[in-house]
Amino acid sequence: MNMALGSRGGWWPALCVGTAVTIVAVYLLLVASNWIYLGWHDTLYFFSKSRMWERFWLTVWTSTVSTSFSLLIGIPSGYALSRFRFPCHHLVASVIDLPIVVSPAVVGAFLFGVTTRFPFDWISEYYGVYIGRNVYGVLLVQFTVTAAFCARLMKASFDMIPTRFESVSRSLGASPMRTFFKVVLPMAKNGIIASMIVVWARAAAEWEGLMLFVGATEGKTDIMPFAIYLDWNGGMMGWVTSMSIVCILMAVSAITAMRMIGGRSNVW
Amino acid sequence: MKKINTMVVFLVIFSFFLVAQTYGTEKSLLFHAGLGQRMALNEIKEVFEKRYPDTKVNFSYKGSGYFIADITRSEQGDLFMPGEEFYLLQAVERGFLTDYNPKTDVPAYFVTVIITPKGNPKNIKAIEDFAKPGIRVGLGNPKSCAIGIWHEKTFKKAGIWEKVKANATLSAKCIPELGNATQHKAIDGTIVWATTAVLYLRDVDIIPIEYRYRGIIRLPVGVLKFARYREEAQKLMDFILSEEGRGIFQKHAYAVNPGIPIGKEGFCLDGTTDKFMEYLVNAAKAVKDESFPVTKETVGDLAEEVLRQRKTERAGD
Repeated sequence: MNMALGSRGGWWPALCVGTAVTIVAVYLLLVASNWIYLGWHDTLYFFSKSRMWERFWLTVWTSTVSTSFSLLIGIPSGYALSRFRFPCHHLVASVIDLPIVVSPAVVGAFLFGVTTRFPFDWISEYYGVYIGRNVYGVLLVQFTVTAAFCARLMKASFDMIPTRFESVSRSLGASPMRTFFKVVLPMAKNGIIASMIVVWARAAAEWEGLMLFVGATEGKTDIMPFAIYLDWNGGMMGWVTSMSIVCILMAVSAITAMRMIGGRSNVW
Repeated sequence: MKKINTMVVFLVIFSFFLVAQTYGTEKSLLFHAGLGQRMALNEIKEVFEKRYPDTKVNFSYKGSGYFIADITRSEQGDLFMPGEEFYLLQAVERGFLTDYNPKTDVPAYFVTVIITPKGNPKNIKAIEDFAKPGIRVGLGNPKSCAIGIWHEKTFKKAGIWEKVKANATLSAKCIPELGNATQHKAIDGTIVWATTAVLYLRDVDIIPIEYRYRGIIRLPVGVLKFARYREEAQKLMDFILSEEGRGIFQKHAYAVNPGIPIGKEGFCLDGTTDKFMEYLVNAAKAVKDESFPVTKETVGDLAEEVLRQRKTERAGD
Protein backbone atom coordinates (compact mmCIF):
# COMPACT_ATOMS: atom_id res chain seq x y z
CA MET A 1 0.00 0.00 0.00
CA ASN A 2 1.46 3.30 -1.01
CA MET A 3 -0.08 6.17 0.84
CA ALA A 4 1.20 9.69 0.39
CA LEU A 5 2.13 10.93 3.84
CA GLY A 6 0.84 14.39 3.03
CA SER A 7 -2.66 13.36 1.98
CA ARG A 8 -5.73 13.43 4.18
CA GLY A 9 -5.37 11.13 7.20
CA GLY A 10 -1.68 10.79 6.40
CA TRP A 11 -0.68 11.57 9.97
CA TRP A 12 -1.28 7.95 11.01
CA PRO A 13 1.21 6.32 8.60
CA ALA A 14 3.60 9.16 9.36
CA LEU A 15 3.32 8.44 13.08
CA CYS A 16 3.96 4.74 12.56
CA VAL A 17 6.98 5.33 10.33
CA GLY A 18 8.23 7.92 12.82
CA THR A 19 7.99 5.43 15.67
CA ALA A 20 9.91 2.82 13.70
CA VAL A 21 12.62 5.31 12.78
CA THR A 22 12.91 6.56 16.36
CA ILE A 23 13.36 3.11 17.87
CA VAL A 24 15.96 2.19 15.26
CA ALA A 25 17.75 5.47 15.96
CA VAL A 26 17.80 4.67 19.68
CA TYR A 27 19.39 1.28 19.04
CA LEU A 28 21.94 2.72 16.65
CA LEU A 29 22.76 5.42 19.19
CA LEU A 30 23.40 2.76 21.83
CA VAL A 31 25.88 0.97 19.59
CA ALA A 32 27.50 4.18 18.38
CA SER A 33 27.98 5.70 21.82
CA ASN A 34 29.56 2.48 23.09
CA TRP A 35 31.84 2.36 20.11
CA ILE A 36 32.86 5.97 20.60
CA TYR A 37 33.54 5.22 24.25
CA LEU A 38 35.81 2.35 23.22
CA GLY A 39 37.75 4.43 20.71
CA TRP A 40 39.48 3.38 17.52
CA HIS A 41 42.81 2.37 19.07
CA ASP A 42 41.17 0.05 21.58
CA THR A 43 38.81 -1.37 18.99
CA LEU A 44 41.80 -2.52 16.95
CA TYR A 45 43.55 -3.75 20.07
CA PHE A 46 40.71 -5.86 21.41
CA PHE A 47 39.57 -7.12 18.02
CA SER A 48 43.05 -8.42 17.29
CA LYS A 49 43.21 -10.44 20.54
CA SER A 50 42.87 -14.19 20.20
CA ARG A 51 40.76 -14.29 23.38
CA MET A 52 38.01 -12.43 21.56
CA TRP A 53 37.84 -14.87 18.66
CA GLU A 54 38.13 -17.94 20.87
CA ARG A 55 35.01 -16.74 22.69
CA PHE A 56 33.37 -15.92 19.41
CA TRP A 57 33.88 -19.39 17.93
CA LEU A 58 32.92 -21.02 21.19
CA THR A 59 29.62 -19.14 21.08
CA VAL A 60 29.06 -19.91 17.41
CA TRP A 61 29.69 -23.63 17.60
CA THR A 62 27.87 -24.27 20.87
CA SER A 63 24.76 -22.48 19.71
CA THR A 64 24.93 -24.16 16.29
CA VAL A 65 25.14 -27.62 17.83
CA SER A 66 22.38 -26.99 20.36
CA THR A 67 20.21 -25.42 17.66
CA SER A 68 20.59 -28.47 15.44
CA PHE A 69 19.57 -30.75 18.30
CA SER A 70 16.64 -28.45 19.04
CA LEU A 71 15.57 -28.66 15.42
CA LEU A 72 15.71 -32.45 15.49
CA ILE A 73 13.30 -32.41 18.42
CA GLY A 74 11.39 -29.31 17.44
CA ILE A 75 10.35 -30.14 13.87
CA PRO A 76 8.57 -33.44 14.62
CA SER A 77 7.03 -32.25 17.86
CA GLY A 78 5.94 -28.96 16.31
CA TYR A 79 4.32 -30.94 13.51
CA ALA A 80 2.60 -33.21 16.01
CA LEU A 81 1.24 -30.30 18.00
CA SER A 82 0.04 -28.59 14.85
CA ARG A 83 -1.64 -31.57 13.11
CA PHE A 84 -2.53 -34.40 15.40
CA ARG A 85 -5.01 -34.64 18.21
CA PHE A 86 -3.74 -37.14 20.73
CA PRO A 87 -4.67 -37.71 24.39
CA CYS A 88 -3.63 -34.89 26.74
CA HIS A 89 -2.60 -32.82 23.77
CA HIS A 90 -3.52 -29.60 25.55
CA LEU A 91 -1.43 -30.61 28.53
CA VAL A 92 1.54 -31.39 26.28
CA ALA A 93 1.14 -28.04 24.57
CA SER A 94 1.20 -26.15 27.86
CA VAL A 95 4.14 -28.10 29.27
CA ILE A 96 6.09 -27.34 26.10
CA ASP A 97 5.42 -23.66 26.69
CA LEU A 98 6.94 -23.80 30.17
CA PRO A 99 10.63 -23.25 29.37
CA ILE A 100 9.63 -20.19 27.34
CA VAL A 101 7.70 -18.65 30.18
CA VAL A 102 9.93 -19.44 33.17
CA SER A 103 13.31 -17.81 33.54
CA PRO A 104 16.32 -19.74 32.17
CA ALA A 105 17.72 -19.47 35.70
CA VAL A 106 15.04 -21.92 36.81
CA VAL A 107 16.03 -24.28 34.00
CA GLY A 108 19.65 -24.02 35.16
CA ALA A 109 18.75 -24.75 38.75
CA PHE A 110 16.59 -27.74 37.78
CA LEU A 111 19.28 -29.19 35.55
CA PHE A 112 21.71 -28.77 38.39
CA GLY A 113 19.36 -30.61 40.71
CA VAL A 114 18.80 -33.48 38.29
CA THR A 115 22.39 -34.08 37.25
CA THR A 116 23.68 -34.28 40.80
CA ARG A 117 21.26 -37.07 41.75
CA PHE A 118 20.86 -40.74 40.99
CA PRO A 119 21.84 -42.13 38.53
CA PHE A 120 23.98 -39.27 37.34
CA ASP A 121 26.03 -39.10 40.51
CA TRP A 122 27.08 -42.72 39.91
CA ILE A 123 28.04 -42.01 36.32
CA SER A 124 29.96 -38.98 37.46
CA GLU A 125 31.74 -41.02 40.11
CA TYR A 126 32.46 -43.97 37.84
CA TYR A 127 33.91 -42.05 34.93
CA GLY A 128 35.56 -39.42 37.09
CA VAL A 129 33.91 -36.52 35.28
CA TYR A 130 31.78 -33.71 36.59
CA ILE A 131 28.56 -33.65 34.61
CA GLY A 132 27.68 -30.24 33.33
CA ARG A 133 30.76 -28.37 34.47
CA ASN A 134 32.21 -28.38 30.99
CA VAL A 135 31.20 -27.41 27.51
CA TYR A 136 28.60 -30.21 27.38
CA GLY A 137 26.86 -28.46 30.24
CA VAL A 138 26.67 -25.36 28.07
CA LEU A 139 25.14 -27.41 25.26
CA LEU A 140 22.67 -29.00 27.64
CA VAL A 141 21.49 -25.66 29.02
CA GLN A 142 21.19 -24.16 25.56
CA PHE A 143 19.32 -27.21 24.29
CA THR A 144 16.93 -27.35 27.24
CA VAL A 145 16.11 -23.68 26.98
CA THR A 146 15.67 -23.65 23.21
CA ALA A 147 14.11 -27.05 22.41
CA ALA A 148 10.67 -26.09 23.65
CA PHE A 149 10.97 -22.70 22.07
CA CYS A 150 11.86 -24.38 18.81
CA ALA A 151 8.86 -26.73 18.97
CA ARG A 152 6.60 -23.75 19.58
CA LEU A 153 7.94 -21.84 16.59
CA MET A 154 7.69 -24.94 14.40
CA LYS A 155 4.06 -25.39 15.43
CA ALA A 156 3.42 -21.82 14.30
CA SER A 157 5.16 -22.47 10.98
CA PHE A 158 3.17 -25.65 10.31
CA ASP A 159 -0.08 -23.95 11.37
CA MET A 160 0.36 -21.49 8.53
CA ILE A 161 0.29 -24.26 5.93
CA PRO A 162 -3.20 -25.32 4.76
CA THR A 163 -3.93 -29.01 5.41
CA ARG A 164 -5.48 -29.33 1.96
CA PHE A 165 -2.14 -30.10 0.34
CA GLU A 166 -1.55 -32.95 2.73
CA SER A 167 -5.00 -34.39 2.09
CA VAL A 168 -4.37 -34.28 -1.65
CA SER A 169 -0.99 -35.95 -1.24
CA ARG A 170 -2.47 -38.63 1.02
CA SER A 171 -5.40 -39.25 -1.35
CA LEU A 172 -2.92 -39.81 -4.17
CA GLY A 173 -1.43 -42.61 -2.13
CA ALA A 174 1.62 -41.09 -0.45
CA SER A 175 2.46 -42.34 3.04
CA PRO A 176 2.30 -39.87 5.96
CA MET A 177 6.08 -39.77 6.12
CA ARG A 178 6.45 -39.17 2.42
CA THR A 179 3.82 -36.45 2.60
CA PHE A 180 5.69 -34.78 5.43
CA PHE A 181 9.06 -34.77 3.70
CA LYS A 182 7.85 -34.06 0.16
CA VAL A 183 4.99 -31.66 0.78
CA VAL A 184 4.90 -30.13 4.26
CA LEU A 185 8.60 -29.62 4.88
CA PRO A 186 9.33 -27.81 1.59
CA MET A 187 6.35 -25.55 2.18
CA ALA A 188 7.49 -24.80 5.71
CA LYS A 189 11.03 -24.08 4.57
CA ASN A 190 10.96 -20.35 5.13
CA GLY A 191 9.31 -20.71 8.51
CA ILE A 192 11.86 -23.27 9.59
CA ILE A 193 14.80 -21.14 8.54
CA ALA A 194 13.34 -18.07 10.22
CA SER A 195 12.68 -20.01 13.43
CA MET A 196 16.19 -21.38 13.27
CA ILE A 197 17.61 -17.86 13.50
CA VAL A 198 15.49 -17.07 16.51
CA VAL A 199 16.46 -20.31 18.22
CA TRP A 200 20.11 -19.82 17.39
CA ALA A 201 20.05 -16.28 18.74
CA ARG A 202 18.30 -17.46 21.89
CA ALA A 203 21.00 -20.10 22.43
CA ALA A 204 23.82 -17.65 21.79
CA ALA A 205 22.36 -15.18 24.29
CA GLU A 206 21.86 -17.71 27.08
CA TRP A 207 23.74 -17.13 30.31
CA GLU A 208 21.43 -17.19 33.35
CA GLY A 209 21.12 -20.95 33.21
CA LEU A 210 24.85 -21.24 32.68
CA MET A 211 25.55 -19.13 35.73
CA LEU A 212 23.65 -21.56 37.94
CA PHE A 213 24.38 -24.86 36.25
CA VAL A 214 27.83 -24.60 34.72
CA GLY A 215 29.88 -21.79 36.19
CA ALA A 216 32.60 -20.13 34.16
CA THR A 217 35.80 -21.79 33.09
CA GLU A 218 37.98 -19.42 31.19
CA GLY A 219 38.04 -20.29 27.49
CA LYS A 220 35.93 -23.44 27.93
CA THR A 221 32.43 -22.53 29.03
CA ASP A 222 32.35 -18.74 28.91
CA ILE A 223 30.39 -18.00 25.77
CA MET A 224 30.08 -14.33 24.81
CA PRO A 225 27.27 -13.17 27.10
CA PHE A 226 28.81 -15.02 30.03
CA ALA A 227 32.26 -13.58 29.30
CA ILE A 228 30.73 -10.11 29.17
CA TYR A 229 29.27 -10.62 32.62
CA LEU A 230 32.58 -11.94 33.97
CA ASP A 231 34.55 -9.02 32.58
CA TRP A 232 31.98 -6.57 33.90
CA ASN A 233 32.70 -8.07 37.29
CA GLY A 234 36.41 -7.70 36.68
CA GLY A 235 36.07 -4.02 35.84
CA MET A 236 37.32 -4.65 32.32
CA MET A 237 35.14 -2.16 30.48
CA GLY A 238 37.24 -2.45 27.34
CA TRP A 239 36.44 -6.13 27.01
CA VAL A 240 32.81 -5.60 27.93
CA THR A 241 32.30 -2.95 25.27
CA SER A 242 34.25 -4.65 22.51
CA MET A 243 32.59 -8.02 23.09
CA SER A 244 29.14 -6.42 23.10
CA ILE A 245 29.95 -4.88 19.74
CA VAL A 246 31.04 -8.27 18.38
CA CYS A 247 27.80 -9.78 19.69
CA ILE A 248 25.77 -7.18 17.84
CA LEU A 249 27.74 -7.63 14.63
CA MET A 250 27.28 -11.39 14.98
CA ALA A 251 23.52 -11.03 15.38
CA VAL A 252 23.20 -8.63 12.48
CA SER A 253 25.20 -10.81 10.11
CA ALA A 254 23.37 -13.98 11.14
CA ILE A 255 20.01 -12.39 10.50
CA THR A 256 21.10 -10.91 7.20
CA ALA A 257 22.60 -14.18 5.99
CA MET A 258 19.52 -16.17 6.91
CA ARG A 259 17.28 -13.62 5.26
CA MET A 260 19.25 -13.92 2.07
CA ILE A 261 19.02 -17.72 2.16
CA GLY A 262 15.45 -18.05 3.30
CA GLY A 263 13.65 -15.03 1.97
CA ARG A 264 10.49 -13.90 3.71
CA SER A 265 8.18 -15.87 5.92
CA ASN A 266 5.52 -15.43 8.55
CA VAL A 267 8.05 -14.89 11.36
CA TRP A 268 10.11 -12.24 9.60
CA MET B 1 14.88 -28.56 0.04
CA LYS B 2 18.05 -30.50 -0.84
CA LYS B 3 19.99 -27.69 0.74
CA ILE B 4 18.20 -28.03 4.08
CA ASN B 5 18.58 -31.79 4.04
CA THR B 6 22.33 -31.60 3.53
CA MET B 7 22.58 -28.87 6.11
CA VAL B 8 20.72 -30.86 8.76
CA VAL B 9 22.76 -33.99 8.04
CA PHE B 10 25.95 -31.98 8.25
CA LEU B 11 24.94 -30.41 11.55
CA VAL B 12 24.05 -33.75 13.08
CA ILE B 13 27.34 -35.31 12.05
CA PHE B 14 29.21 -32.28 13.26
CA SER B 15 27.54 -32.43 16.66
CA PHE B 16 28.13 -36.15 17.11
CA PHE B 17 31.75 -35.60 16.27
CA LEU B 18 31.99 -32.98 19.00
CA VAL B 19 30.12 -35.02 21.57
CA ALA B 20 32.24 -38.04 20.76
CA GLN B 21 35.37 -36.27 21.95
CA THR B 22 36.38 -38.28 24.96
CA TYR B 23 38.20 -37.20 28.02
CA GLY B 24 41.92 -37.78 28.26
CA THR B 25 43.64 -39.43 31.17
CA GLU B 26 44.50 -36.15 32.83
CA LYS B 27 43.07 -35.35 36.21
CA SER B 28 41.01 -32.21 36.26
CA LEU B 29 40.37 -30.44 39.51
CA LEU B 30 37.16 -28.56 40.08
CA PHE B 31 37.97 -25.33 41.85
CA HIS B 32 35.12 -23.25 43.30
CA ALA B 33 36.49 -19.74 43.29
CA GLY B 34 34.98 -16.31 43.82
CA LEU B 35 34.68 -14.11 40.74
CA GLY B 36 36.94 -11.50 42.30
CA GLN B 37 39.94 -13.83 42.40
CA ARG B 38 39.77 -14.54 38.69
CA MET B 39 42.83 -12.62 37.50
CA ALA B 40 45.18 -13.93 40.18
CA LEU B 41 43.90 -17.51 40.05
CA ASN B 42 44.13 -17.72 36.28
CA GLU B 43 47.79 -16.85 36.57
CA ILE B 44 48.27 -19.45 39.29
CA LYS B 45 46.55 -22.05 37.12
CA GLU B 46 48.93 -21.31 34.27
CA VAL B 47 52.05 -21.74 36.39
CA PHE B 48 50.66 -24.81 38.15
CA GLU B 49 49.61 -26.61 34.96
CA LYS B 50 53.03 -26.01 33.49
CA ARG B 51 54.62 -27.59 36.52
CA TYR B 52 52.21 -30.56 36.74
CA PRO B 53 51.19 -31.19 33.13
CA ASP B 54 48.87 -34.12 33.95
CA THR B 55 46.72 -32.05 36.30
CA LYS B 56 44.23 -29.56 34.88
CA VAL B 57 42.53 -26.90 36.93
CA ASN B 58 38.91 -26.09 36.09
CA PHE B 59 37.49 -23.05 37.76
CA SER B 60 33.83 -22.69 38.42
CA TYR B 61 33.70 -18.93 38.87
CA LYS B 62 30.54 -17.68 40.47
CA GLY B 63 29.60 -15.00 42.95
CA SER B 64 30.63 -16.21 46.41
CA GLY B 65 27.01 -16.34 47.53
CA TYR B 66 26.20 -19.06 44.97
CA PHE B 67 28.69 -21.56 46.27
CA ILE B 68 27.10 -22.90 49.41
CA ALA B 69 23.98 -23.86 47.47
CA ASP B 70 26.08 -25.46 44.75
CA ILE B 71 28.29 -27.46 47.11
CA THR B 72 25.45 -28.53 49.38
CA ARG B 73 23.45 -29.87 46.50
CA SER B 74 26.14 -31.33 44.28
CA GLU B 75 28.75 -32.47 46.82
CA GLN B 76 31.29 -31.94 44.08
CA GLY B 77 34.50 -30.04 43.90
CA ASP B 78 38.10 -30.26 45.02
CA LEU B 79 39.04 -26.81 46.22
CA PHE B 80 37.15 -23.84 47.56
CA MET B 81 38.31 -20.22 47.73
CA PRO B 82 35.43 -17.79 48.23
CA GLY B 83 35.74 -14.02 48.44
CA GLU B 84 35.41 -13.89 52.23
CA GLU B 85 36.28 -16.14 55.15
CA PHE B 86 32.60 -16.05 56.14
CA TYR B 87 31.60 -18.29 53.21
CA LEU B 88 34.34 -20.76 53.93
CA LEU B 89 33.30 -20.93 57.57
CA GLN B 90 29.78 -21.76 56.38
CA ALA B 91 31.26 -24.71 54.52
CA VAL B 92 33.23 -25.73 57.61
CA GLU B 93 30.07 -25.53 59.69
CA ARG B 94 28.26 -27.88 57.33
CA GLY B 95 31.15 -30.31 57.38
CA PHE B 96 32.30 -29.83 53.78
CA LEU B 97 35.76 -28.84 54.92
CA THR B 98 37.25 -30.84 57.71
CA ASP B 99 40.80 -29.65 58.11
CA TYR B 100 40.60 -25.87 57.89
CA ASN B 101 43.36 -24.20 59.85
CA PRO B 102 42.72 -20.44 60.15
CA LYS B 103 46.36 -19.79 61.03
CA THR B 104 48.00 -21.27 57.95
CA ASP B 105 45.39 -21.52 55.20
CA VAL B 106 45.12 -17.84 54.29
CA PRO B 107 47.27 -17.02 51.24
CA ALA B 108 46.08 -13.45 50.73
CA TYR B 109 44.15 -10.54 52.17
CA PHE B 110 41.98 -7.74 50.87
CA VAL B 111 42.81 -4.24 52.11
CA THR B 112 40.24 -1.44 52.06
CA VAL B 113 40.96 1.83 50.22
CA ILE B 114 38.95 4.88 49.18
CA ILE B 115 38.36 5.41 45.47
CA THR B 116 37.03 8.57 43.83
CA PRO B 117 36.49 9.51 40.19
CA LYS B 118 39.57 10.74 38.35
CA GLY B 119 40.75 14.08 39.74
CA ASN B 120 38.83 13.61 43.01
CA PRO B 121 36.28 16.39 42.29
CA LYS B 122 34.87 16.51 45.85
CA ASN B 123 38.35 16.45 47.41
CA ILE B 124 37.89 13.43 49.64
CA LYS B 125 41.00 12.88 51.74
CA ALA B 126 39.88 10.73 54.65
CA ILE B 127 36.87 8.71 55.67
CA GLU B 128 35.48 11.65 57.71
CA ASP B 129 34.88 13.47 54.41
CA PHE B 130 32.14 10.98 53.51
CA ALA B 131 29.97 12.58 56.20
CA LYS B 132 30.10 16.05 54.61
CA PRO B 133 26.80 17.21 53.14
CA GLY B 134 26.43 16.89 49.37
CA ILE B 135 28.84 14.02 48.85
CA ARG B 136 27.33 11.18 46.82
CA VAL B 137 28.50 8.02 48.54
CA GLY B 138 28.23 4.49 47.16
CA LEU B 139 27.57 1.84 49.79
CA GLY B 140 27.39 -1.91 49.45
CA ASN B 141 24.30 -3.77 50.57
CA PRO B 142 25.49 -5.76 53.62
CA LYS B 143 23.00 -8.52 52.85
CA SER B 144 24.48 -9.34 49.48
CA CYS B 145 28.15 -8.42 49.56
CA ALA B 146 30.97 -8.39 52.05
CA ILE B 147 32.03 -4.84 51.27
CA GLY B 148 28.69 -3.62 52.61
CA ILE B 149 29.45 -5.13 56.01
CA TRP B 150 32.81 -3.39 55.98
CA HIS B 151 31.28 -0.04 55.04
CA GLU B 152 29.03 -0.25 58.05
CA LYS B 153 31.83 -1.41 60.32
CA THR B 154 34.26 1.29 59.19
CA PHE B 155 31.88 4.24 59.35
CA LYS B 156 30.46 3.06 62.66
CA LYS B 157 33.96 2.93 64.09
CA ALA B 158 34.49 6.51 62.92
CA GLY B 159 31.13 7.47 64.46
CA ILE B 160 29.68 8.87 61.22
CA TRP B 161 27.51 5.96 60.02
CA GLU B 162 24.18 7.83 60.21
CA LYS B 163 25.50 10.82 58.27
CA VAL B 164 27.14 8.63 55.62
CA LYS B 165 23.95 6.63 55.25
CA ALA B 166 22.08 9.85 54.58
CA ASN B 167 24.61 10.67 51.85
CA ALA B 168 24.32 7.29 50.15
CA THR B 169 23.00 7.39 46.59
CA LEU B 170 23.82 3.83 45.58
CA SER B 171 23.24 0.52 47.32
CA ALA B 172 25.41 -1.93 45.43
CA LYS B 173 24.75 -5.66 45.28
CA CYS B 174 28.32 -6.51 44.37
CA ILE B 175 31.63 -4.76 44.55
CA PRO B 176 32.22 -4.22 40.80
CA GLU B 177 29.08 -2.11 40.82
CA LEU B 178 30.86 0.34 43.12
CA GLY B 179 33.93 0.35 40.89
CA ASN B 180 31.91 0.89 37.74
CA ALA B 181 29.86 3.67 39.35
CA THR B 182 33.03 5.48 40.40
CA GLN B 183 34.56 4.99 36.98
CA HIS B 184 31.53 6.59 35.34
CA LYS B 185 31.38 9.41 37.92
CA ALA B 186 27.99 8.34 39.25
CA ILE B 187 29.27 8.64 42.83
CA ASP B 188 31.88 10.90 44.43
CA GLY B 189 33.61 8.21 46.40
CA THR B 190 33.39 4.85 48.09
CA ILE B 191 35.46 2.26 49.88
CA VAL B 192 36.47 -0.91 48.05
CA TRP B 193 39.16 -3.60 48.28
CA ALA B 194 42.54 -2.67 46.85
CA THR B 195 42.16 -5.57 44.41
CA THR B 196 39.03 -3.95 42.99
CA ALA B 197 40.55 -0.48 42.95
CA VAL B 198 43.55 -1.72 40.99
CA LEU B 199 41.30 -2.74 38.10
CA TYR B 200 40.25 0.87 37.50
CA LEU B 201 43.61 2.63 37.73
CA ARG B 202 43.00 4.71 34.64
CA ASP B 203 39.66 6.12 35.73
CA VAL B 204 39.85 6.48 39.51
CA ASP B 205 42.02 8.11 42.14
CA ILE B 206 43.08 6.00 45.09
CA ILE B 207 43.24 7.44 48.59
CA PRO B 208 44.67 5.26 51.36
CA ILE B 209 42.68 5.06 54.58
CA GLU B 210 44.30 5.94 57.85
CA TYR B 211 45.48 2.64 59.36
CA ARG B 212 43.03 2.70 62.29
CA TYR B 213 40.17 2.38 59.83
CA ARG B 214 41.98 0.23 57.28
CA GLY B 215 40.31 -3.17 57.11
CA ILE B 216 42.18 -6.40 56.39
CA ILE B 217 39.99 -9.20 55.07
CA ARG B 218 41.13 -12.81 55.17
CA LEU B 219 40.83 -14.96 52.04
CA PRO B 220 41.24 -18.60 52.99
CA VAL B 221 41.48 -21.61 50.72
CA GLY B 222 40.60 -25.20 51.54
CA VAL B 223 40.37 -28.73 50.13
CA LEU B 224 36.80 -30.01 50.19
CA LYS B 225 35.83 -33.22 51.93
CA PHE B 226 34.59 -34.93 48.78
CA ALA B 227 37.64 -34.03 46.67
CA ARG B 228 38.15 -36.60 43.93
CA TYR B 229 41.85 -35.94 43.57
CA ARG B 230 42.80 -35.10 47.10
CA GLU B 231 46.52 -35.40 46.52
CA GLU B 232 46.53 -33.07 43.51
CA ALA B 233 44.19 -30.64 45.25
CA GLN B 234 46.52 -30.53 48.21
CA LYS B 235 49.43 -29.87 45.85
CA LEU B 236 47.59 -26.93 44.31
CA MET B 237 46.68 -25.59 47.72
CA ASP B 238 50.29 -25.84 48.86
CA PHE B 239 51.33 -24.00 45.73
CA ILE B 240 48.82 -21.22 46.43
CA LEU B 241 50.15 -20.93 49.97
CA SER B 242 53.81 -20.97 48.88
CA GLU B 243 55.96 -17.87 48.50
CA GLU B 244 55.56 -18.10 44.74
CA GLY B 245 51.78 -18.38 44.88
CA ARG B 246 51.51 -15.47 47.25
CA GLY B 247 53.79 -13.50 44.94
CA ILE B 248 51.19 -13.87 42.18
CA PHE B 249 48.45 -12.58 44.48
CA GLN B 250 50.68 -9.64 45.40
CA LYS B 251 50.93 -8.65 41.74
CA HIS B 252 47.14 -8.17 41.75
CA ALA B 253 47.11 -5.88 44.78
CA TYR B 254 46.39 -8.42 47.49
CA ALA B 255 48.25 -8.05 50.77
CA VAL B 256 50.07 -11.29 51.41
CA ASN B 257 52.15 -10.61 54.50
CA PRO B 258 50.74 -12.90 57.20
CA GLY B 259 52.44 -10.76 59.84
CA ILE B 260 50.15 -7.71 59.51
CA PRO B 261 48.99 -6.91 63.05
CA ILE B 262 45.20 -6.93 63.00
CA GLY B 263 42.84 -6.03 65.82
CA LYS B 264 39.88 -8.14 66.86
CA GLU B 265 37.53 -6.26 64.55
CA GLY B 266 39.78 -6.72 61.53
CA PHE B 267 41.35 -3.27 61.36
CA CYS B 268 45.09 -2.59 61.14
CA LEU B 269 46.93 -1.91 64.37
CA ASP B 270 49.91 -0.17 62.81
CA GLY B 271 51.26 1.15 59.52
CA THR B 272 52.69 -2.13 58.19
CA THR B 273 50.60 -1.79 55.03
CA ASP B 274 51.49 1.90 54.43
CA LYS B 275 54.15 1.02 51.87
CA PHE B 276 51.67 -1.14 49.96
CA MET B 277 49.19 1.76 49.94
CA GLU B 278 51.88 4.04 48.56
CA TYR B 279 52.55 1.60 45.72
CA LEU B 280 48.86 1.57 44.90
CA VAL B 281 48.60 5.38 44.79
CA ASN B 282 51.70 5.53 42.59
CA ALA B 283 50.31 2.84 40.31
CA ALA B 284 47.19 4.95 39.73
CA LYS B 285 49.43 7.91 38.86
CA ALA B 286 51.62 5.81 36.60
CA VAL B 287 48.76 4.52 34.49
CA LYS B 288 47.44 8.04 33.89
CA ASP B 289 50.85 9.63 33.33
CA GLU B 290 53.16 7.85 30.87
CA SER B 291 56.20 9.75 32.18
CA PHE B 292 55.82 8.39 35.71
CA PRO B 293 58.60 5.85 36.33
CA VAL B 294 57.42 2.27 36.81
CA THR B 295 60.00 0.60 39.02
CA LYS B 296 60.14 -1.69 42.02
CA GLU B 297 60.62 1.42 44.21
CA THR B 298 57.60 3.33 42.97
CA VAL B 299 54.92 0.69 42.40
CA GLY B 300 56.35 -2.48 43.96
CA ASP B 301 54.83 -5.64 42.52
CA LEU B 302 52.09 -3.77 40.69
CA ALA B 303 54.37 -2.96 37.73
CA GLU B 304 52.86 -5.67 35.53
CA GLU B 305 49.33 -4.44 36.22
CA VAL B 306 50.36 -0.85 35.41
CA LEU B 307 51.96 -1.84 32.13
CA ARG B 308 48.92 -3.94 31.22
CA GLN B 309 46.54 -1.03 31.77
CA ARG B 310 48.77 1.45 29.98
CA LYS B 311 48.28 -0.54 26.77
CA THR B 312 44.63 0.42 26.36
CA GLU B 313 42.40 3.43 26.91
CA ARG B 314 39.64 1.26 28.42
CA ALA B 315 40.54 -1.31 30.98
CA GLY B 316 41.04 -4.77 29.58
CA ASP B 317 43.80 -7.21 29.00
